[in-house]
Amino acid sequence: MDRTQLLIGVAVALFSIGLVGVVVRRNVLVMLMCMELMLNGVNLSLITFAQQTATTVGAVVVFLVFVVATVEIALAIPIVLLLVRDRHTLDIGAYNELRG
Amino acid sequence: MLTLIVVLPLVGFLLNGILATRLGGNVVGNRFVTVVGCGLPIASFALVVASCLTLAAGGYAPLVEVAYRWAQIGDGSFEVAFYFDRLAAVMALVVTGVGSVIHVYSVGYMKDDPSYGRFFAYLNVFLFFMLLLVLGRSLLVLFVGWEGVGLASYLLIGFWFDDLANARAGKKAFITNRVGDAGFLLGMFLLYTTFGTLDMDRINAAFGGTAPVVSASLVGLLLFIGATGKSAQIPLHVWLPDAMAGPTPVSALIHAATMVTAGVYLVARMAGVYVHAPEASAVIAVVGVATAFFAATIALVQTDIKKVLAYSTISQLGFMFLALGVGAYAVAIFHVVTHAFFKACLFLGAGSVIHALGGEQDVRRMGGLAKKIPLTFWTFAIATAAIAGLPPLAGFFSKDEILWFAFASTRGGTPWLWVVAAATALMTAFYMFRLLWLTFLGRSRMSAEVEHHVHESPWSMTGVLVVLAVLSAVGGFIAVPHFLEPQLALPAVHESLHAAETPLVVVSVVLALAGLAAAAFLFGGPSERVERLRARFAGVHRVLSAKYFVDELYARLIGRPLVWISDRVFLRLGDRALLDGTLHGMAALGRASGRVLARIQTGSLHLYAWLVLAGIAGALIWSSRHG
Amino acid sequence: MTAMIDGLLQQLDTLMLVVCAFGALAAAATMLLVREPMRVAMALVTSMILLGGIYGLLGVHFVAAFQVLIYVGAVMVFIVYAIMLLETREASIRRYSRLFIPGIAGLVVLLGAIVAAVWKPLPSPVRELGDVSFGIGAFSVAFLTEYWLLFELTSVLLVAAVVAAVAVLGVGRKDPRRG
Repeated sequence: MDRTQLLIGVAVALFSIGLVGVVVRRNVLVMLMCMELMLNGVNLSLITFAQQTATTVGAVVVFLVFVVATVEIALAIPIVLLLVRDRHTLDIGAYNELRG
Repeated sequence: MLTLIVVLPLVGFLLNGILATRLGGNVVGNRFVTVVGCGLPIASFALVVASCLTLAAGGYAPLVEVAYRWAQIGDGSFEVAFYFDRLAAVMALVVTGVGSVIHVYSVGYMKDDPSYGRFFAYLNVFLFFMLLLVLGRSLLVLFVGWEGVGLASYLLIGFWFDDLANARAGKKAFITNRVGDAGFLLGMFLLYTTFGTLDMDRINAAFGGTAPVVSASLVGLLLFIGATGKSAQIPLHVWLPDAMAGPTPVSALIHAATMVTAGVYLVARMAGVYVHAPEASAVIAVVGVATAFFAATIALVQTDIKKVLAYSTISQLGFMFLALGVGAYAVAIFHVVTHAFFKACLFLGAGSVIHALGGEQDVRRMGGLAKKIPLTFWTFAIATAAIAGLPPLAGFFSKDEILWFAFASTRGGTPWLWVVAAATALMTAFYMFRLLWLTFLGRSRMSAEVEHHVHESPWSMTGVLVVLAVLSAVGGFIAVPHFLEPQLALPAVHESLHAAETPLVVVSVVLALAGLAAAAFLFGGPSERVERLRARFAGVHRVLSAKYFVDELYARLIGRPLVWISDRVFLRLGDRALLDGTLHGMAALGRASGRVLARIQTGSLHLYAWLVLAGIAGALIWSSRHG
Repeated sequence: MTAMIDGLLQQLDTLMLVVCAFGALAAAATMLLVREPMRVAMALVTSMILLGGIYGLLGVHFVAAFQVLIYVGAVMVFIVYAIMLLETREASIRRYSRLFIPGIAGLVVLLGAIVAAVWKPLPSPVRELGDVSFGIGAFSVAFLTEYWLLFELTSVLLVAAVVAAVAVLGVGRKDPRRG
């Protein structure tokens, strides 16, 4: 197993763990952090391929992912703040009003 | 000119139908209706007379007039064409002549009816369709007229439709006719596919030559089925007694003189086919004589004056078909003419009686009217004598010819046909004189106030009665069979039976007088004689009064199963379970699947994220499997 | 001799790569296992820093710098502030949701599916470990010339984010209590 495969494997594992974390954890902030983990996994795979082929496009996309992640957190945290101010709990089970 | 004959009554229908009814706002009064409604048929009659003169002047070559091309299909075309030969002349004269006088009669009879305009409109439309029927050249035009007179009959039977029984009677007439029309249509289809034309003169000629390509008997039978419906023969006779629910002029015009003879006219017109169809002719003769006998037995015990006349009509129509069945087409037409005279006179006389008694129709509540309404009495008596076959009145000549050919014709005449027909003639004389006695003679059985109001009818009604009575008396001397002979040859007679001709005439006169005597004996004397007779034959009397339970039989055999099928199979199974069920089922399916799918929307973010995970995994597995 | 040192350095680089990789993985796994959110945040920080190390080893030093500066320095700090702010006094929330077992099953399946899909021999990388692949200069040039559209869209995105944040928090709206 060469190092590219290792890194890709790690990236895949990080992404999957992040996705599962969203599924299994109850705390809202923990779910947000797991989503960050997913983005990190994606970044790792991009950088691996960028380094492998020595093109810059991988790095550019990684930079954009940074921006998007920042923006996402900048908005997600205030939303969570507002929600928690209302319900006084971080348990996501309390926020299931959009039922079918 | 022929087109004008047909179109004039149509114009009357349109004018009266639009202006004199509620449809157009009742903008004209009764006088306009009378002038238009009676004037146009009289004008038609005048034109028919003129056409007869033209025909005679032209050596009796048929006049043909094409009015309009209806459809062009491939090589063949369907035209609305009119054909005037000897037969059409006779029929048209009867239709317009008797029709016009009945229109005049209706002026007096329907004077106080609020729907005066509608009545004349319907009478005119009937006349239009009847003229289409008799003057049409092709079976298609005849069929249009055929259906049209059925429609007019329905409208007029149910004229006072506020009473549900009248509406039902009209419906019964129309539907029974339709059953016969199925056979008629099949006959027409067969003729068209074989010959490519429906023109009756061409079809007759096509059968005359070489061996026909289609069985003449089959065609003959199919057309006869249509005639059965229209002319009230067994088994489709059930509508005619119920049709008496309509106003009496209607009964006279449609159900005695003209419409019911359309079947006879059809067979006579298609004589070219029937001369080659011995089997069909035999069937016609048997059905005719059976109907005649059957209806006469029922007429013996009827108590409604119009019902007696209705069954009498059925019986007389049976006679006409008997004549057709043994090949004496011209004689049948002769009987049509004389029957039109005396039956119309009888019906209109009955109408006069009903008018005089203020609506009473039950003969058990009549009697002793002879002195009070003498004109009605004498015209009724003359017509009764005519139908009974007393010489030298009209009925004697025509009925006697029928009996002679039933006995001796080489085309199916047998002695036993004569026996049944003679027995029927005896019963005819009996029940007609019974009617005369019960209605006009003897002691009065009316209630006091009805008796007080008895009055003779106005001249518009009695004048017509006089005209028709005169025609019933002398009409026999119009030698119709002789006139029609060049076109409809009389059948040959067995040589050996020539000698029997005079004795048979004597026998029939004796039978008529015997009927008269029996009626006078039973009904002219004290009522116990009739009561004793009725008590002795109580069972027979019950069966006859109930018209042999034919209506009940039809209701049970045909009506009930049809209603059952309509209800169970078509309504409950077909409509509700299948059609509605399918639609409801599809809607329910939609709703149920929606309910199932809605279970995904739980509001739980965990579930949604898990579904994303499952989706990604699934997509990857699928794409790796399918490359 | 230099070849031997190079070889040794190579092996050291590889070792460090492996350590960082598995460390990041372990930190990520810890995220799922610990209860308090603060500890989860610390685990994530660890994972990110180790990832930064991997980036550095791969030669994209500026990306490693950005990783630490932006991700750890801005994003994670913000999250930590939020955790501290939203410390609720109630009894601790249950750790796992109702979909724990389906989640773990899904994890296994997903890992298997992805690995089966992408596991194939890849061409060997262009650069060796430790070598600089491309510098920030090349990156900037590429960003501003070839991918300039993405650059502009990024700025639009940031403006939108600022506006959205202001709207979400209602800055400038009158306080209904003060009327």
